[in-house]
Amino acid sequence: MGSSSPRRFAYGAAGVLLLLAAWELVGRSGAAGLTFPALSSVVGMYFDQRLAALLYRSARATAGSALEGLLLGGLFGSAAAFLTHLVSPLRPGLDRLAVTVNAVPAIALGPIFIVMVSRDLTPVLLATIPVFFIIYVAVTSGLRSTPTRLNEMMITFGAAKLQRLMYVELPYALPSFLSGVKVSVTSAMIGAIVGEWFGAPTGLGIVILNTMQNFQIPLMWATVLVTAAISLAGYGIVSLAEVITVRRFT
Amino acid sequence: MAAIAISKVSKSFPLDGKRSVLALSEVELNVAEGEFVALIGPSGCGKSTLLHLVAALDEVSSGSIRIDGEPPAVLREKHQLGIAFQEHALLPWLSVQANLALPYKIAGRPADRDHIAHVIRLVGLDGFEEARPRQLSGGMRQRAAIARSLCLDPRLLLLDEPFGALDAVTRHSMNLELQRIWEQKQITTMLVTHSVDEAIFLADRVVVMSARPGRVAEIIAIPFARPRDRACSRSEQFHQLADRLTSLLEP
Repeated sequence: MGSSSPRRFAYGAAGVLLLLAAWELVGRSGAAGLTFPALSSVVGMYFDQRLAALLYRSARATAGSALEGLLLGGLFGSAAAFLTHLVSPLRPGLDRLAVTVNAVPAIALGPIFIVMVSRDLTPVLLATIPVFFIIYVAVTSGLRSTPTRLNEMMITFGAAKLQRLMYVELPYALPSFLSGVKVSVTSAMIGAIVGEWFGAPTGLGIVILNTMQNFQIPLMWATVLVTAAISLAGYGIVSLAEVITVRRFT
Repeated sequence: MAAIAISKVSKSFPLDGKRSVLALSEVELNVAEGEFVALIGPSGCGKSTLLHLVAALDEVSSGSIRIDGEPPAVLREKHQLGIAFQEHALLPWLSVQANLALPYKIAGRPADRDHIAHVIRLVGLDGFEEARPRQLSGGMRQRAAIARSLCLDPRLLLLDEPFGALDAVTRHSMNLELQRIWEQKQITTMLVTHSVDEAIFLADRVVVMSARPGRVAEIIAIPFARPRDRACSRSEQFHQLADRLTSLLEP
């Protein structure tokens, strides 16, 4: 691979540039209509101090909600997975509960959370639910991925269930857990934004809605780009952690 | 060291709903303290199953297994059972040394550095203490696995095809090493193997099993004095024994 990888990078970069140039041209020509602005006018939004400050504030709120959802969902999902692993009779019940919770559309839960909890917390909660499900599934299957011979080895050395979890099953579940987190990043962002639509005070979801209704098309696109960038950055960071972990633990 | 008494042990596995397959039928075998017994037999004869039962990884369907008069799980709970499998079962993210410290952690004791170093020397892995399993060759991994099984000075050593994945040359030198280690420790040992030569070379007695259902077909005492060397495995008597055992394995 070595020598071809700079070339591949160059091809990739050229492809991206070409796409961006096409965006600019189509936008300027107006061929795609009024709702498709030129790239330069979208990027221009970031240089308007007032708008940039608005976007920064909103991005922080949304990313914060998504991150909290990621942490809460990760924590509860992992805890539930450990519990079913150690106390196997709980397993069928918790499996079904997780599936049921996941089967309920977030849109339907939004109003309930607004009424029951608060407008501020709804984005976090709607981010938590899909993350909980994904992490629960990833960790339960990760914990079961330990090769039989390693479990048999641990048992013959007289290891208790908790010791097996600590010394063998947990490290084996790490890669699966991290690929779960990777998928969760996007789900958490979706949950946070949908949660904001139910009336959170700030956030990218609010800006997207307002700009759409006020026909501030370039600002809307600029907001969507920020949202995509946050998702991609999160995905990238977790992918990196995954690569490092897989290298360390196999 | 431990003595094993296996009496009238049968083991069946459920297939579907009603049917089941009989893996072991009325197996009788006594292993004396400090004895080295090899189990051979055609594949599917239940020799690994028998080893699993002695390790209390599975339960007998009928009959009983006693190790020093107690159920096999007792020895395991006292952390006095050593085991090595065909695949090494080392933890890939730990160094050789850390892998050897694992049995101590499980037993809730502080890792005995000196003893670990001693065991590493015993299996000839000195200089590789910090290596990870994937940096080692197949033979070295098996040595590390055997070293780990010896760490806590077990009273019983169970070896399930430990050299099955190795080439013939490495396998033979591992046999020599295992014999050397065993002579130093005199641990009661049960070895499951496919190789007639390996069984004769290492064991005091060879247990030949027959298939479907698995039962003890014959037990043959090996007359060679220890230490056994290459000359021994080339002797006429060795070949005659090997021929006899091989003919017993044929259906």
